[in-house]
Amino acid sequence: MLDEYATTLTFIALGAIFAYSFYAVLIAGQLSLGQAGFAALSAFAGAYLAPSPTDVGDVPALLIAVAIGMSVGALAAVVLGLPTMHLRGVFLAIATLGFAEAVRVVLTNQEWTGGAQGLGVPRVLTVGMAWLALGLVAYWFWRMGRSRYGRALEAIREDELAARAMGIDVGRHRLAAFVTAGAVAGLYGVLYAYYVRLIAPDDFDFVAAVEGLVTAVVGGSTMFLGPILGSGFQTIVPEIQRAVGVEAGWIRPFLASLLLLVVILFLPGGLASLIRRRTRLPAGAADDARADAGEGPGRGLAGRHHPAAGEPVVSLSGLGKEYGGVHAVRGVDLEIRAGEVVGLIGPNGAGKTTLVNMISGLVPPSSGTATVLGSTIGRTPVHRIAAAGVSRTFQHSKLFNRLSALENVLVGAHLVSRPTFLRRLLWLPSARRDERAALRQAVRCLDRVGLADRAAARAEALSYGDQRRLEIARALASDPSLLILDEPAAGMNHVEAARLSELITSLARDGLTILFIEHNVGMVLQTCTRVVVLNFGEVIASGAPGEIAADPAVIEAYLGSDEDDAGSAGSGATAAGRDAAPPDAVTNLTPGAAGTLDTPDTTPRNPT
Amino acid sequence: MQQLLNGIFIGSIYALFAIGFTLVFGILDRLNLAHPAVFAASAFVGIELVERGGLSLWAALPIVFVFGAVLGLAIERLAFRPLKGRADAHFAGLISSIALAGMFIALLQWRYGPDTRRFPTGSFPDTRFEIAGAQVTLVQVVILAVSLALMVGLTYMVTRTRLGRGMRAVAENPTAARVLGVNVDRVTAITFAISSALGAVAGVLFAINVNTAQLGMGAAIELKGLAVIIVGGMGSLPGALIGGLLLGLAEVFAVQYIGSSWIDVIAFGLLFVILLLRPQGLLGARKVREV
Repeated sequence: MLDEYATTLTFIALGAIFAYSFYAVLIAGQLSLGQAGFAALSAFAGAYLAPSPTDVGDVPALLIAVAIGMSVGALAAVVLGLPTMHLRGVFLAIATLGFAEAVRVVLTNQEWTGGAQGLGVPRVLTVGMAWLALGLVAYWFWRMGRSRYGRALEAIREDELAARAMGIDVGRHRLAAFVTAGAVAGLYGVLYAYYVRLIAPDDFDFVAAVEGLVTAVVGGSTMFLGPILGSGFQTIVPEIQRAVGVEAGWIRPFLASLLLLVVILFLPGGLASLIRRRTRLPAGAADDARADAGEGPGRGLAGRHHPAAGEPVVSLSGLGKEYGGVHAVRGVDLEIRAGEVVGLIGPNGAGKTTLVNMISGLVPPSSGTATVLGSTIGRTPVHRIAAAGVSRTFQHSKLFNRLSALENVLVGAHLVSRPTFLRRLLWLPSARRDERAALRQAVRCLDRVGLADRAAARAEALSYGDQRRLEIARALASDPSLLILDEPAAGMNHVEAARLSELITSLARDGLTILFIEHNVGMVLQTCTRVVVLNFGEVIASGAPGEIAADPAVIEAYLGSDEDDAGSAGSGATAAGRDAAPPDAVTNLTPGAAGTLDTPDTTPRNPT
Repeated sequence: MQQLLNGIFIGSIYALFAIGFTLVFGILDRLNLAHPAVFAASAFVGIELVERGGLSLWAALPIVFVFGAVLGLAIERLAFRPLKGRADAHFAGLISSIALAGMFIALLQWRYGPDTRRFPTGSFPDTRFEIAGAQVTLVQVVILAVSLALMVGLTYMVTRTRLGRGMRAVAENPTAARVLGVNVDRVTAITFAISSALGAVAGVLFAINVNTAQLGMGAAIELKGLAVIIVGGMGSLPGALIGGLLLGLAEVFAVQYIGSSWIDVIAFGLLFVILLLRPQGLLGARKVREV
């Protein structure tokens, strides 16, 4: 029974292993076609260098060849990966394809490979061994899925920039994924060689690479069972056609291609999307989190050292950024001390976001110096700044859209959670403990912004206001010393904005230093201990909210110099919660007056 | 001199093929891997038009152009439009176009069988010229002329006409283009049609040049097309032209001086170096990432 299908089953296993080598990088959003080259190098190196099965026995010979092949594949991936990891999308695909083609031609022109005739290899692999190997590979990716490392890769796929801002070293993770792909492709190459009896460089050509990619994508590149399903599909469809008597010739490839088209068009996420993905929220995690609330970082999380109140967190001196002659930010001197809540306001185009991008390390300054939590801005990569304790949200939400709300926040906890992948492979209980600790932290953060009941929803399915709050939860999860919010209330209705204001106040009470950009001036004046006003890239005022609201330069920047206009625009909003505000203070400034299209301030105010 | 001319002739076909490839990529940011299948299909159709329809070689070209355009519309409708708005549209588009290419090739096999086909004897005029001691056939001159004319026409269309302006607007920002009244779906469909029409003509010219058409001819040129558009700069039309000519010349000279088995290593070695030093290609513009 099994013998009858042994060949088919073996090819399903081999195809699936090759597809896993594509899956390994697709999960991190990388498109590579170099796996054919890795497989070719490994197949020939393994078959050529390993001792003959007649000398050492079948299994030892195969194992030695596998070890050689996987090392060769991984090594080739490092060599190819180091210079190409900065390439994205199609560019990476074509560069790696170029590598694979070059490997194929070089191998064809070598004596020891037998050239185009190929190299004879004894058949050692049995269907059982093939499936055992497949099982191990699948196990690897299964355990990777819910580890910190696996989540980081998914985060990179969804939004690389946001992943960096969460403290993920994107370069290292991408290279690690690529090397995994190299090793798995190497495994495939060797197993293939020890099954088909004769290998030729043309077995690993462009068509083979595309076949591997197609298998991985058809199966589903976001779920670990995908490659197996894909390989089963790709191998069985022709077999079934043969079994039911479809003639050879054009009909079989036509139907196979048609089915492929149907799957890709109607099953986004591949065949694996037919399997319901379970969004895990172990019973008790939420309760644990509530019990923990207020205790600071929970057990199993890396402790963070926060600066004591009053210590400098951010010091900028003469900081400037120029874009082709346009000074977006010019000569900004600013010091933020621990425990402060600083509001950054100014008309659109004043350079607020640029300033914040420099502070969080996303944009290098073109002049001046800046130190943030002990890191020098400009030379320090974004993830290091994040590791120093800076966490941020973005003006336009940059969530990991296809991940659940909970997973988004778990990625946010990257810096405070411990790596769990290798321990998960061995089922160590400590890995489970650490995962639960991270989970508790995530649930706590979700709870804090009021999203606990939406934990299982995909980020892209949330309402706009919920997405903004999810971003804040994600930023909080890293237990930051400095939290930067870029227009958190934009697009929120007045109820949501009021709740946000309360949240910020309560975070500040916990000792968090907060820097936030907001157009809702009423909200800024209510929540901040200090307000910094930026106009045309320069700081025009800085001080307590009361002083700022009365500052003529600020009023002029927002409304122009006509005093009468300023008075009428500001009337009715004079008593914005701060008793200290002078009678003629402008506390709610019509944003439209500065030539912007921002939503008007609708925060409820309580006249006192 | 002979080698130089041969390189230019074959290079102009590569360029024509690559321009179709890069047009879709530059404007729509999609890699259409069914393009090589169009290339192969049109070669077979061209041969049939001459063989059974009794048309002259040159009368067949406009018909093939239209045939290619129709295939392009089909590709857009079947493989790309259904993916609109999907997060994985990039990967899915690659795969769906591969699937459609597989269907095209299967249909070709159904109609023409698996064997190599040639133009009937006597379809080519015998006229030859001598330029600086090198032999040139009329056919080769026409290949070059047709390629250049199509490329000039395309450049004119993209830079000067209303349609071309729509294309550039879509390339810049599809949403903004739609808001400003550009019919994005129509521009997309037309882009695919033009791209495939150029690929189709390239296919016939290639078949004329070597007097064979094979089912696998598309796969063979696919890699070269990818190399050309990378070297020239993704989405850059003049870049694809220069890249195509460079590749044609490099191949011809490599065969003569290094040996035919190493051609691909040179092509891809060059490709690799360019990707590392200038990822945006020779004439491509670097896209700035926004925060």
